[in-house]
Amino acid sequence: MRNGRFVILGNGGAAVSAAEAARLSGYRGEILLVSDVAEPAFNPMLSPYYFKGKIPWAGCYPLAAGFYRDHDVACRLGEPVVALDPDRRRITLGDGRTVAYDACLIATGAAPAVPPIPGLRESAHAFTLRNAASARRLDEQMLTARRAIVFGVSLVGMKMAEILARRGIAVVLLGRGRQVLSRGTHPAVAAVLRRYIEARGVDVRLGCTIAGVEDTGNGVLCRLSDGTTEPADILLVCTGIRPNLAFLDCGQVTIDQAVLTDERMRTSADGLYAAGDACQALNPITGRHDWLGTWGNACAQGRVAGRQVAGVDAALPGALPQHVSPFFDWTYAHVGDIQPGDGDVRHVAFGDAEDGGYALFSFRDGIVTGANMINCAHLAGPLKSAILRGARGDERLLRGGDGHPLAAAESILDGCRLGRLDHRQHDGGAGGRRARPAVTAAGAFSPP
Amino acid sequence: MTQYAFSLDPSRCSGCRACIVACQDQNDLEAVAFRHVTDHEAGAYPDVRVSHFSIACQHCGDAPCVLVCPTRAISRRDSDGAVLVARDLCIGCHSCELACPFGAPQFASDGRMDKCDLCHGRLDHGLTPACVRVCPTRALQCGPVEELSARKAEAASVRLLESLGRGTVPDGA
Repeated sequence: MRNGRFVILGNGGAAVSAAEAARLSGYRGEILLVSDVAEPAFNPMLSPYYFKGKIPWAGCYPLAAGFYRDHDVACRLGEPVVALDPDRRRITLGDGRTVAYDACLIATGAAPAVPPIPGLRESAHAFTLRNAASARRLDEQMLTARRAIVFGVSLVGMKMAEILARRGIAVVLLGRGRQVLSRGTHPAVAAVLRRYIEARGVDVRLGCTIAGVEDTGNGVLCRLSDGTTEPADILLVCTGIRPNLAFLDCGQVTIDQAVLTDERMRTSADGLYAAGDACQALNPITGRHDWLGTWGNACAQGRVAGRQVAGVDAALPGALPQHVSPFFDWTYAHVGDIQPGDGDVRHVAFGDAEDGGYALFSFRDGIVTGANMINCAHLAGPLKSAILRGARGDERLLRGGDGHPLAAAESILDGCRLGRLDHRQHDGGAGGRRARPAVTAAGAFSPP
Repeated sequence: MTQYAFSLDPSRCSGCRACIVACQDQNDLEAVAFRHVTDHEAGAYPDVRVSHFSIACQHCGDAPCVLVCPTRAISRRDSDGAVLVARDLCIGCHSCELACPFGAPQFASDGRMDKCDLCHGRLDHGLTPACVRVCPTRALQCGPVEELSARKAEAASVRLLESLGRGTVPDGA
């Protein structure tokens, strides 16, 4: 499509990447961006860096002033979308007006999921962290708080525990399951991270949930599932996210955990695309639809959608669950599938977190599927590439155990870094995107 | 825009690591290195072969690090396609490290990313990158992509013709 109206719902990484990619691909029609927030694009992953004092508040808004004007994007900000009709190709805004589209991108992101715990949703001292407004509220509260409860041992929960602890606020970190970071982290690695955060003064209680919340004027009293009662000035809820799809009639578009798309970000409805945290895209390598929640992934997917709308046949080559975060003085990275399920599954660990790094790899039938890396995140990029190529684990790696130095893993991954260049036209993809420079060392490499 | 790139001829690389040292010297690096050399063994006795590969940032045309950086600290220079990081904008989130298949991003003691910058300061003054200048076997080259491709094609043709003259097929032809 070269002309017509391209409506983008949302204003995060996927949305702005789609707008930019459409224009850069020659799209000359109208681009209309609709968002329920009356601000430029906000990057939620940046708020922890603001709280840690690494960036000013303005730094959470990554776009240059004038982005929308420079890319000729008309904006309706502060206007929620209340309905979308894929058959008639039109959206309905909060004031009842309708807007017709030729192509539409659902990039409405996700919002924190708040469990239905008695007293929780009504509490004036319970906070989630996702958008600019909630970050500003929390910022104020942290100035006077002395004691906090963080409910949820997700990545966000762990980061918030760190931020609070760094400010000298006493933190109780609660998790329902048996380990921190239940998504994508091996129990042995989770145990190392738990000991680390406890050594920094955070009170971690696992197998524990909140039975009820009561406001006490200046704070809350939480009744925990273990029978104890904990007071706090603030309660943070970090128990996962849900996609923002209330405006969608699930009968008209296929939805699983989020809106399902193929690797070209196309939903089940014509002319309707989805990208970012609101989307669950096909991973052509695994054949599964993965719901991924990183800024990088959102940008990669948004870019594919923007190119598609402009008439360029772009596709994601594949993607992997992945993240990397600084965490106190450590860096923790996770790539791929650490519990690949059926088949001959093996886990091999190397090294020491405090001395060169600790890495745990998972293999299924000899093929590397994922890894957790503490203080050796430099392995993550090449490893991700290796996983997407279906690299087999070297015998040395498979035989390894705690005694092997990390150097063995590094030299094997060096080999992965040099793997065959694939000359297919790859396009975008935060996961496993194989760069295609015209002349490279790998291009000169001739396998014997 | 003339896209510059590095090219490496593994048949010439001796794995001496002079390129790494030259880079560290050029950039005043101590603990960190922007260039890595890997040794790759293949075959079994008596048909063994060792190859060496010197790799730094590839200054990719469609750089994944540029795409994922949340603060847009990484960008490509118009004049030569060099991928450069504005360190004052870097928050040390490591997203680029996760995105790069070549392991190019490094993290300095201030927690911010740094990496090979194609010695663009040297290029701007008509000099070659430090690693290229020091390479004793001339395995490493840098230049506009079209020139590098043409040179490689010519070298491959010569090898092919020579081997045809001898009646053998060359390795890697």
